[in-house]
Amino acid sequence: MDIKASARAAGSCAALCGALALLAASPALAHHSFAMFDHVNRITVAGTVTDFQWTNPHVFIEMDAPDASGGSKHYTVECASPNVLTRVGWKFNLIKRGDKISALINPLKNGQPGGMLETVTLADGRTFSDSNPPGGVFER
Amino acid sequence: MNTPRRRRPAARALALASMAAVLAAGAAGVAAAEPDITGVWGHAFPRPGVTPDPRLLPPPPGDPELTPAYAEDYRKLREAERASDRAGQPLANASTQCLPDGMPQMMFAIYPLEILQTKGQVTMIEEAYSQVRRVYLDKPQLAIDDVPPGYFGHSVGHWEGDVLVVDTVGVKEQVKGFKDLPHSDQMHIEERLQLLTPDILQDQVTIVDPKALVKPWSFTFAYQRVRNYEMLEYVCENNREYVDQNGVTQVRLGGK
Repeated sequence: MDIKASARAAGSCAALCGALALLAASPALAHHSFAMFDHVNRITVAGTVTDFQWTNPHVFIEMDAPDASGGSKHYTVECASPNVLTRVGWKFNLIKRGDKISALINPLKNGQPGGMLETVTLADGRTFSDSNPPGGVFER
Repeated sequence: MNTPRRRRPAARALALASMAAVLAAGAAGVAAAEPDITGVWGHAFPRPGVTPDPRLLPPPPGDPELTPAYAEDYRKLREAERASDRAGQPLANASTQCLPDGMPQMMFAIYPLEILQTKGQVTMIEEAYSQVRRVYLDKPQLAIDDVPPGYFGHSVGHWEGDVLVVDTVGVKEQVKGFKDLPHSDQMHIEERLQLLTPDILQDQVTIVDPKALVKPWSFTFAYQRVRNYEMLEYVCENNREYVDQNGVTQVRLGGK
């Protein structure tokens, strides 16, 4: 792989189950279908935040991750909405440009460098959930 | 000597009392007999170790029975949606384009729902998409032909005892209901809102649509009062989803 990414076991976010269960796994909570994301083969992207957009309908993290050739690759990470993230402890300024973070994401199935967030770990070690239904089950 | 004319103390006290009463009535704007549904309402989302009041968990809506004119197209749409999801290329829908839910889906209230009672009107604000609907009290419903079709339609209501009865017409046919359910221009949405406790509000919804439905379709929403919540603004300013030439939802990636 040309990116610093590694698969992570499903149990890795067990500590966040309480937060994940905060919201019902209701399709109506989804702004759109999330079938374009791979909810099974998750990857972890570690790198530097280039932008944090606290916006509707989704919050976005833009970040650069080092690749195998010594360069970097840009990733777009889609998160839930400000309302949902606020409920699980996020703030509009939780993440800032230049922060070093590690994001566990459901990558885009089309292979483009982006995905939907599951959890993000900040430089100080705190981990925050995106509050997705466990297993990424979004059925219409 | 030209001095200002003064009222006697007793008359002045009476005038002040009357004024205070008028101001109080104006501030509340609600007849004392009406139940107090003003406030912010939301769902009882499951929390570990907490069992919600069963009145907050009404049964999910069953499947409506569509007339033949609508049933086949709807079946094909649902099939196409499921197939596209399985292929990882979800078909676009209204939310892909940041369009509001409209009625009746707005009352599902995926985000908090604020209700304001003022004289002659009940206003409902759903945080997602900053959706607003106004229920005009004690007024006759307009003829459907006189209502420009919109997302929220035209709503009138009245209190029957402690139940707020609301009728809505004039919802655009493009505005889909649950599970993208179609409807005709003849749809009426009938609602009965009632406080079950001071902190539990129920909305019994019945869709009446003789062109699209074989028989009226009913379901119930329930909300719990959310205290000390200030509604967030919601502007759909950063929609990265777009519809490609195949009608599939794609995500626009950001750059550096």
